[in-house]
Amino acid sequence: MIKEGIGLGTMFYGTGYGNGFPDVSKAEAVLRADGKVAVHTGATEVGQGAKTAMTQIACEVLGLKVNDIILISEDTSNMPDSGTAAASRQTYNTGNAVKKTCEDLREKIKEEAKLKLNLNTDIGLKLKDGYVYVETLPEKSIALKDLAKDKSLKIKGSFTAQTTEMDPETGQGAPYWPYTFGACAVKVSVDTLTGEVNVLKAVFTQDVGRAINPSLVEGQMDGGFSMALGYALLEDINVDNGKIKNDSFTNYLIPTSLDMIDIDNILIEDPENTAPYGAKGVGEPVMIPVTPAILNAIYDAVKVRITEIPVTPSQVLKELNKSKK
Amino acid sequence: MSYDVVGKNIIRVDGLSKVTGKATYPQDISMDNMLYGKTLRSIKPHAYINVDISKALNLEGVKAVLTAKDVPGKNHHGVLFKDHEVFCEKKVRRIGDPIAFVVAETEEIAENALDKIKVEYDEIEPIFDPIKAMDKDSPKVHDSSNIVYHYKLRQGNIDEGFKNCEKIVENEYKTSRTDHAFLQPEAGISYIDKEGRYAVCVATQYPHYDRLEIAEALGVKEEKVRVINAAVGGAFGGREDITLQIHLALAAMKLKRPIKAVYSRKESFNAHCKRHPLIMKYKTGADKQGNLIALKAEIIGDTGAYASWAINVLRKAGVHATGPYEIPNVEVDSIAVYTNNPFSGAMRGFGATQIPIAHEQQMDMLAESLGLDPLTIRMKNIFTKGSKTSTGQILKESVPLDKCLAEIDKKMNFTQSYKGGVKE
Repeated sequence: MIKEGIGLGTMFYGTGYGNGFPDVSKAEAVLRADGKVAVHTGATEVGQGAKTAMTQIACEVLGLKVNDIILISEDTSNMPDSGTAAASRQTYNTGNAVKKTCEDLREKIKEEAKLKLNLNTDIGLKLKDGYVYVETLPEKSIALKDLAKDKSLKIKGSFTAQTTEMDPETGQGAPYWPYTFGACAVKVSVDTLTGEVNVLKAVFTQDVGRAINPSLVEGQMDGGFSMALGYALLEDINVDNGKIKNDSFTNYLIPTSLDMIDIDNILIEDPENTAPYGAKGVGEPVMIPVTPAILNAIYDAVKVRITEIPVTPSQVLKELNKSKK
Repeated sequence: MSYDVVGKNIIRVDGLSKVTGKATYPQDISMDNMLYGKTLRSIKPHAYINVDISKALNLEGVKAVLTAKDVPGKNHHGVLFKDHEVFCEKKVRRIGDPIAFVVAETEEIAENALDKIKVEYDEIEPIFDPIKAMDKDSPKVHDSSNIVYHYKLRQGNIDEGFKNCEKIVENEYKTSRTDHAFLQPEAGISYIDKEGRYAVCVATQYPHYDRLEIAEALGVKEEKVRVINAAVGGAFGGREDITLQIHLALAAMKLKRPIKAVYSRKESFNAHCKRHPLIMKYKTGADKQGNLIALKAEIIGDTGAYASWAINVLRKAGVHATGPYEIPNVEVDSIAVYTNNPFSGAMRGFGATQIPIAHEQQMDMLAESLGLDPLTIRMKNIFTKGSKTSTGQILKESVPLDKCLAEIDKKMNFTQSYKGGVKE
C-alpha cells in the first residue's frame, strides 16, 4: 500500500571557523589603465558562485558593469589569502573584505577626480559606468581610464569576523556570527510493500539576509536538497573492518535528476547589519533542514520512527515489521 | 533599498566556460616532458610497515619511488593537528594511507611499479568502534588517548529542568559515513615555474593553506611554492585536506620535470575525508504547553584515523545541538574519537547537518505526546530577535525563522491538517 505523509525540519547554522579563531579575508582592488578594476582575492569558486557574488559586490560599490571587474582568485602568487571556501563564510567574510576594499578604492578615485576636475571637495561625487561626476552637474566628469592613465590606484583591505572563544567547562560564548535560519517541509510516499520512499513535494524557506544573486541561491537550495535527499535515503560508504565497500558509483548511490522534484524555494530576506549588503552565507544551511523533514514525513506516513540513516527500503520494511509485532 | 547589481540574477561569470567545456580542470592540463605519478596505499587498517622499493626502482621507465625518507621538510600535514604523514613511515592507521608515490614515464609503468613495491605489514589490533575506542585499554590509533576532543555545553540546571517537564522523549540516533561524491576526482600537476617556484596546479578549497603545508613538507619558504587553483569540480568539504598536492611537489622538486597525477573514482573515495558518522543520545523535555524545558545530548563522532576538522565539527555539532530553540536547561557533551576507519573531516554542514536528524525528530515526538502539531510546537520555541542561544549569545537581528515557518504553513497547512496533534 502507498501511504503519504508530511514532515517538517528547521535549522540554524553559525557561519565561520568559530570559537575566536581569527576568521580573516583579504582583498586588493586596482584601477587599471583601461578603466577596469581588478579585484584580487583568494575566494575559491567551488561552484557555489563566489566569483559571481564577489563581482556583483565590487560592481555595486564602484558603479561598474560585470565586464568591468576582473576578478583574480586562482593563483597564490597573485592574490591575498581569503581563508577557505568552507563554513559558508565566503559571501559574508570575503564579501565584506571586497566591499570594504572597493569602498576605499572608490574614495581614492574621488580624491583623484577632485584634483583632476579642479574641485574644492570630493563631496557629491558619484561613480557610474566608468565615470566620476558631480551629481548636481553631470557634465563635470572624468572617465576612470583617464584617471588611471598615469597613476594606477591600488587599495588593500581585510575583514575579520567577530567570534569569541567559549569557556572550556561550560561552552558559554559567542562562537559564530552570523547565524542563518531555514525550514523545509516535504510530502513523501512510502510503499509498505517494497519500503520505497519517494519525495512528492517540497517547500523550502531559506533566510539569506539579502540575496546577492537570487538565482544562485536557488541553485544552492536545489543542490542542498538533492544532497540531503541522498543523505536521508541512499548514501553510506559502508565500512567493513576499515574497508570502504561502496567505493564507486555502482554501489554508492547518489540522487540523479530523476530523483529530483521541483522544489518550491522561497528566499526570506532580513538583511544582517554586519554583512555585505546584508548577505549571509547559505552554502551549508541549504542542506540542513531537508533530511529531518523527510524522516518526519516518513513517520507521518507509516507511523514508524526511523532513527538511523540512510533510510533504505530494507530498513523501512524492517521497522514496519517490528511495529506490527 | 534597491541596488543596481546586488539582488539581480546576473549570469554566473564562470558559467559559459563550464557549460561549453572550456573550463580547465587540473586533469585537462598536460605539459611537455611530463611524468606520471601513482600512489601506493595501505591495504591494512592498523599495522607497522616495512617498505622495500628496490624492485620497483629497477623497472624501466620508473624515475623515482618516493617514501617517507624522501620528504626533506616535515613528513606531516593536517588542517588543525599535524597528525597525517605525507608518507607513512613506520605505521599505517587506515586502509588507504599513502605509503609511496611512484613517478614514471607513463601511467601504465607507474601502475605496474606499484605491484613491485614490497610492503611487509606487521598487524596491530585495530579499533573500529568509536565507543570502545574511548576505553583506556583500547588499541591506540596515535600515541595517546583516542579521545581527540570533548566539547561541554552547560546551561541552567539539567536535573531540575527535567523534573519540571510534562513529557520527556529519549532516543538514540545514528548517521552514516558519506562521501562528497564531487564530480571531479582529485588531479593535479606540479612543475618548477620560470621564477624557480614549485608550482602545484590542483583543485582545492584553500590554496593559501595548501601552499603552507606543501612548503613545510618541502622544507622551503612559502614564497617558493605557488598553488594555482584550476576549475574546481565540486568540493563540499572534501578538498580541505591535502591529498596529492605534496606528493606532486616533492616529485617536481626531485626530478625537475612536470609530474601529473589523476585519481580514479575508487582512489578518490579512499583518499579524502568523509562526513563524521555521529551517535547521538537525546533526551528532550517540555512542559504541558509545549515549551521546551530541558535537553541533554551525548554526541560521539567517529573521526577515523585522523583528526582533520574533527574538533571544529564536533564543536559545531555541540553548539547547534539544541536546534534553533530557546531551552533554559541544557547539557551537551560532544566527543570526537580516533578509530582505524576512513578519516572524517569537513562536509557540508560540518556537524550541524547531522544534529537535526535527532533534534527535529525529538520535536515531533514531543508534539505528538502533547497533542500539538509539528509547526505549533516549533513556533513556541524558535529563536526570535533578541533570543539567547544556549551558549549565551544574543541574536540581536536578522532572525527570520518565524517568517520561514509561516511561509511553509501557508503552502503545506501543518496547523490545519493536524488536529489535536494527530493528522486527519
